[in-house]
Amino acid sequence: MEVLGPDRVTDGSAARRLYSRDGSVIEGGRAGPVCFPETTGEVVGCVQAARAHGRAFVPRGAGTGLTGGSVPCDDPVMIVTTRMNQILEVDRGRRVAWVEPGVVNLDLAHHLAGSGLHFAPDPSSQQACTIGGNVANNSGGPHCLAYGVTSAHVAAVEVVLSDGTVVVLGEEQGDSVGLDLRGAFVGGEGTLGVATKIAVRLTQDPPKVATLLLDFVEVADAATTVSAIIAAGVLPAALELMDRRVVEAVEPFVHAGYPLDAAAVLIVELDGLPGGVAHEVGLVTRIGSQGGARTVRLAADDAERDRIWKGRKSAFGAIANIRPDYYLHDTVIPRTKLAGVLDEVYAIAERHDLLVMNVFHAGDGNLHPLLLFDSREPGVMERVLAAGEEIVRASLAAGGVLSGEHGIGLEKRRFMSLQFSPEDLAAQDALRRAFDPDGIANPLKVLPTGASCGDVNALDVVPDGVWV
Amino acid sequence: MIARSSTTGRIGLRDDALSACVSCGLCLPHCPTYRATGDERRSPRGRIALMRIVESGLAEPNAEWLAAMDTCIQCRGCEPACPSGVPFGELMADTQAFNSGTRRLPLRLRLGLRVLGRPQMLRLGTRLLALAQRMGFFRSSGFLPGRLPLRLPRRPAPAEVDVVLFTGCVMDTWTPHVHDAAQRVLEATGARVGRSGTAAGCCGALHVHAGLREEARSLAHRVMAALPGDQQVLADSAGCGAMLKEYGDLLGTEEAHAFSARVADVHEWLVERLDRLTPVGGRSEPVIIQDPCHLRHVQRVDGAMRAVLAPFVPVVELDDEGLCCGAGGAFAVLQPDLAAKVRDQKVAAIDRAVARSGAAVVVSANPGCSFYLGAAGYQVRHPLEVVAEGLAATGGQEMTDGN
Ligand SMILES: Cc1cc2nc3c(=O)[nH]c(=O)nc-3n(C[C@H](O)[C@H](O)[C@H](O)COP(=O)(O)OP(=O)(O)OC[C@H]3O[C@@H](n4cnc5c(N)ncnc54)[C@H](O)[C@@H]3O)c2cc1C
Ligand code: SF4
Ligand code: SF4
Repeated sequence: MEVLGPDRVTDGSAARRLYSRDGSVIEGGRAGPVCFPETTGEVVGCVQAARAHGRAFVPRGAGTGLTGGSVPCDDPVMIVTTRMNQILEVDRGRRVAWVEPGVVNLDLAHHLAGSGLHFAPDPSSQQACTIGGNVANNSGGPHCLAYGVTSAHVAAVEVVLSDGTVVVLGEEQGDSVGLDLRGAFVGGEGTLGVATKIAVRLTQDPPKVATLLLDFVEVADAATTVSAIIAAGVLPAALELMDRRVVEAVEPFVHAGYPLDAAAVLIVELDGLPGGVAHEVGLVTRIGSQGGARTVRLAADDAERDRIWKGRKSAFGAIANIRPDYYLHDTVIPRTKLAGVLDEVYAIAERHDLLVMNVFHAGDGNLHPLLLFDSREPGVMERVLAAGEEIVRASLAAGGVLSGEHGIGLEKRRFMSLQFSPEDLAAQDALRRAFDPDGIANPLKVLPTGASCGDVNALDVVPDGVWV
Repeated sequence: MIARSSTTGRIGLRDDALSACVSCGLCLPHCPTYRATGDERRSPRGRIALMRIVESGLAEPNAEWLAAMDTCIQCRGCEPACPSGVPFGELMADTQAFNSGTRRLPLRLRLGLRVLGRPQMLRLGTRLLALAQRMGFFRSSGFLPGRLPLRLPRRPAPAEVDVVLFTGCVMDTWTPHVHDAAQRVLEATGARVGRSGTAAGCCGALHVHAGLREEARSLAHRVMAALPGDQQVLADSAGCGAMLKEYGDLLGTEEAHAFSARVADVHEWLVERLDRLTPVGGRSEPVIIQDPCHLRHVQRVDGAMRAVLAPFVPVVELDDEGLCCGAGGAFAVLQPDLAAKVRDQKVAAIDRAVARSGAAVVVSANPGCSFYLGAAGYQVRHPLEVVAEGLAATGGQEMTDGN
């Protein structure tokens, strides 16, 4: 059965090694044949070929995932969507665009620039990650505070199921009739099939945007200001917190003029009608000053605004300026508990003699504590894992949840039973089996059922370096 | 950059440089070869990971591994995109230097590079080729300018001058009119301009790309010996300018660092003296700006080029964030298929700009890009050719044009 020409499938050892990793430090098995389909028909062919050879398959976009979602277990067929990168149709009237799954999030943004419409989810990885990956992980981004995460912006998805059937879930217009299978698919992390076309909903550009940078001498003051802003009835388009180490890491790269001596900065973006925005700028400035902000800076123009955001979005990448490796969690806690849990996070890191950086979507309480380390240091992984687990437990104890936006993948499977009862997990497993009875779509991900992945289960062993 | 604090393994890469990559993938879309293929093996992140594997002795270089390295254009578009500051150019130059010790480069590359290092041979060859072109033996190939000059100017090396224009190898021989235009513009500021000429010869950039570091070093010595003194050395070719600025790292001597400190891109120098350039004024046709990688990603003086052009012509921007055009020194010759795919992306961006603006001329400050885009059917000029034409009459005198 020939599905793809020789230039679009490979089992070279270099390719198989590279496609065994994503954006995280997590290791699993070794990728099997790596396929680069360009059409839905070719994806069907890849799925059928996998089935015919008794293999599983793993969909993959840009591989920027942080939880090992596209890291293979055993040696599955890798279905890489990067060559399915066409924006098929933009319907301005109905505010829907059909795109292929490998379209890069920022490319779609550029394509729509000037049209008055945009695709709201803007993960910090947006310059590289794909819309297919966004859908599979139900990704969020700074601007999802006001606009909602990916699932709120997906109207319909064409999916290749694990038996090779092609279905369209959802409706381009209006709400789907009957059970919302589209809603079930979004966030499925590739375990429910391969998305081959996506109808995304487009959002109208706000008439006016104002971006504020507030800096604080105490992290706790910044955290308290976050809840004070929301309590005052302001719903910013985005509300992000970065602590001192993050600022120090990104400022040399972006030159955004972040104050290097602040303990924390807040980025607050307000949008809407000009009058309303002006009023809210005044309100946030006042709340900030009362809450201990040293300065409140309003970005003068788009260039300054872009620099402020570029710094925020470069944070995970820039940490190598401090340590070569990081391990990142993605828990969500109630906003009012921010100051307390942050305190705990710093204390946990200190107890384990680790550096921690905090940069996160403060507005929705979505923490991203990054534990920094050098994997060449003997014994450091044990400390990193122990600290990570304590952070997760502290977040759950504060009434939080496991994952805000990065998904569960391989990494957080082992924490699932901390958040869900056995009944909850069985229900999720049943849903999954309804889509994929044989368990060949991205197996061993998300749900803590069945065998563990390969010999090397996620972070249970020390990964030697990031890739190798 | 190439001088290293510690080396760890097989290839001898600097440990800090290698471990700076956290595999976030933010560089992926800025890599022209990843864009064209969607393949991690053609991406910065993938190439770094593969370097790591060989460096740490986990695997031997094989054909697939070498192909991953050889398909890198060394455009360094990944460098400014990387928030971790991974010095990719250094890693790849070191890797190619290692490779050149383990295999023989293709014959045509070896021959080509040898000719570049020998101005006399290049001049002779060019006259023969130009003659053959005139006699209709072959059409423009895409790697040569549309019409090679028959008469090649010879000019004396600098004596009493304020600045030295670095004339390099192929440009001096193939497109001397670009140097003439650059010289006119420089002289319009009141500066006395000398030329590096054949005594200095080739900068060695292509040799570094090919991993022939020793050859590059000896060319660097020759350039430095031919250009004593302390005048600024100005490059009107982005690739040469970038190389000259890295002599300090290439040779690791104080003398070389001092030489590199004298080097500036022409635009970088001119932007400080814009008040001395008077445009004739009047309406001029817009031009589309193409950023040579070594101007934008390596020297990072693309802003200066825009500032110099602005008083003379309306400029039209491309919307591809400076993605490489595929020429990449000898890359278009060595990897013609991939180069063509990369160029297709650039062509699409240029066509969008043409559709938007109606502009017909593309400006590029690098000879390789100019030839390669010229072969795709565009009229390509050096920014300073455009500026020279827009200058009000000045004291500077017209140089004899080789064409
Ligand atoms: C620097 C950095 C910043 C980040 N910031 C954010 C952020 O702000 N918010 C956020 O939510 N995430 C963030 N992430 C995580 C990651 O970028 C997102 O999860 C992103 O959506 C993944 O997209 P991808 O194309 O890289 O997918 P991959 O990593 O390739 O895959 C992710 C998952 O999606 C599945 N998948 C991919 N394509 C398909 C498809 N077509 N059909 C079915 N399943 C598919 C894979 O199997 C895998 O389970 C960040 C990552 C990095 C490195
Ligand atoms: S080179 Fe830089 S941008 Fe690219 S993956 Fe590595 S750290 Fe990220
Ligand atoms: S130098 Fe250019 S071609 Fe090579 S990896 Fe970097 S961006 Fe890609």
